[in-house]
Amino acid sequence: MTSTRSGTRGPVTALGRATSRLLEGKWALAGLAVALLAPFVIATPYAIFVMTSAAIFVMLASGLNIVVGFCGLLDLGYVAFFAVGAYTSGVLSTRFGLPLLATVPAVIVVTVIAGVVIGAPTLRLRSDYLAIVTLGFGEIIRITANNLDVTGGPAGIYGIPGLTGDPVVFYYLTVGIVSIAVIGASRLGRSRLGRAWRFVREDEDAAEAMGVHTYKIKLAAYIAGAVWGGLAGVLFAAQLSAISPGSFTFLRSALVLMAVVLGGLGSTPGVVVGAIVISLLPEVLRDFADYQYFAFGVLLIVFMLVRPQGLWPHRSREASS
Amino acid sequence: MGKSRVAAVWSLAVSVGMLTAGCGQGLLGGGSDAGGDKGPITLGMLIPQSGSEAAVGPYMKNAAQLAVDEINGKGGVLGRKLELKVADDACDAQTAVAGANKLVTEGIDVSVGGYCSGATLPTLPVFGKANIPMIIPAANSQELVDQHLKHVFLINGTGTQQATAAMAWITKQGATSVALVHDNTSYSKDIAVRTQKLLDEPGGAETVILEAVTPKESDYSANIHNILAKKPDFVYWTGYFQEGGLITRQLRQAGYTGSIMVGDGSVSEKLAQIAGGDAAEGVYATMTQTPDTLQGAEGWIAGYKKKFGAGPGPYSNQAYDAVRLAAEAVKQAGSTDGAKVISALEGISGFQMFSGPLKFTSDHTLATGGFQILVVRSGKFTLQDALK
Repeated sequence: MTSTRSGTRGPVTALGRATSRLLEGKWALAGLAVALLAPFVIATPYAIFVMTSAAIFVMLASGLNIVVGFCGLLDLGYVAFFAVGAYTSGVLSTRFGLPLLATVPAVIVVTVIAGVVIGAPTLRLRSDYLAIVTLGFGEIIRITANNLDVTGGPAGIYGIPGLTGDPVVFYYLTVGIVSIAVIGASRLGRSRLGRAWRFVREDEDAAEAMGVHTYKIKLAAYIAGAVWGGLAGVLFAAQLSAISPGSFTFLRSALVLMAVVLGGLGSTPGVVVGAIVISLLPEVLRDFADYQYFAFGVLLIVFMLVRPQGLWPHRSREASS
Repeated sequence: MGKSRVAAVWSLAVSVGMLTAGCGQGLLGGGSDAGGDKGPITLGMLIPQSGSEAAVGPYMKNAAQLAVDEINGKGGVLGRKLELKVADDACDAQTAVAGANKLVTEGIDVSVGGYCSGATLPTLPVFGKANIPMIIPAANSQELVDQHLKHVFLINGTGTQQATAAMAWITKQGATSVALVHDNTSYSKDIAVRTQKLLDEPGGAETVILEAVTPKESDYSANIHNILAKKPDFVYWTGYFQEGGLITRQLRQAGYTGSIMVGDGSVSEKLAQIAGGDAAEGVYATMTQTPDTLQGAEGWIAGYKKKFGAGPGPYSNQAYDAVRLAAEAVKQAGSTDGAKVISALEGISGFQMFSGPLKFTSDHTLATGGFQILVVRSGKFTLQDALK
């Protein structure tokens, strides 16, 4: 995708754009229908738990997609925001007895602050350097949580109130929230801001020369990603009722990134599919016991060899004709 | 093309949903028939089979299987066979909760697993909601006790009991300045902090440093430097054996000649192998009874070796006892009903286990931890003092 495409605009493009949007909408509806009907097929506690986890993972991946997919900022410590969200809601709900829903505004504020604190000094860096610094921040958040008393230290926080008592209701709630989050991320990606993100991804210097305030634009991507991650953290805390630093390791950052790359960088449906594959595969392979992660790794390598562009790669709307 | 495919997916999803809804697993199906009075009595076991603590999984699983086979050999319980179902918790909260839900779905009657405290904690409500009693063989963090849940029973000594045993040995050795070293995991920090509280009481030894190390590193010289700067004559490491071996070696290399003691997570022959040479000779350990230190357990060890081709390891005996205790409780309750099994467990008195005759306190922990002091001789942990 290069900036030369902006020249070709005509009725054909408009028609193509309209059909592709319609098509994507249909697929989204079909996906949502599958998610909504799944509990009628299988509603064992295990299946509901795994499906809820997958939905939360989709939200994480769509958040990281804003940062990595849309804006091209390689973030290896994305789990930091997930942890910040989970811990903020966990601490507020257990120490101050707030219902989990009431912690959401606080979570948004805290994750925005975290996004600015982490983003402001690091976003002056580029590519590999940024990746290394974000990797460091991910670890800093985890080790901080491990050593503070307010976060319960290594044992973490337990007894977090859930959003609903019934896991099936919680599943539907999660699917609803995640759908809104995914659609929101996708709409953001198509907005004026989203076009600026893609421009920065393709050529930061050219973007700067064209009058895009790249630093602000990148910070916006970072903050949006942080809020998505933080809200996913709230859902995670509600689902597990207990959180500990062990849940926020580098491996999780890597898995979320893998979901984004596997699905197709910058492609909303791709990232959803990638996240579902990454979160369900280990559970499907659970019965292989010792070979579980071996099989997981082999399958991922095969996926990437067969489809290096991702399972559902992003197609530029401007180019379709 | 695109439209018809979407329509196909829609209709497929709807029809599959309608068809399978009657099968009993969907929302519209009837309740599950698991936990009935027919078929085998199933015991579920959540243990780490992957991840950082995967090494301990087979020891616990094999020992539990041994107990199951022995009981089945004698005709089972209430005329029904026992069956063991194992799920991986990877020592991770989310994997553990998924595993717990899987076991609940499979209709287990009693849970006999739980090794990592951090992974066991979030599974408590999952089993509690399904009214499944939990006999936890290894995990022993104080947080498990502090929730005072009716369905949770711990058959491993608690952090408090281990700290008390450590304190007793420190006093007995006449140490004056103690360095406490932990790895910041829930279990390890718990023991170190509780030992520090005991040391804080006036008289006797003093804590000179409470040092936390980062697990999975290979060079602990910075920590060793901090510790030795305080000139301790007794070092107590409360973490696991990988780091324990390295810390022991690096302490000795740095010229430390005082006593070293390790917690129960470090009791493994690998500690001496990692420390290398005879660096670990004379290292003490606070440990519950192990197959090696049990009198009269030779037959049990031989049977285990014959069946699995390798000797038992850490927490083999607790896992074995957890299964036996579950079977005993079901027998006394006369049913697999959760509430009845729980009251049977509360009522059990004098049931013979490796840790001695069993009687639960009102906290559902062992009345005595059964901790004793081991010492490394020729690379093996042997009994030094039973602390009786």
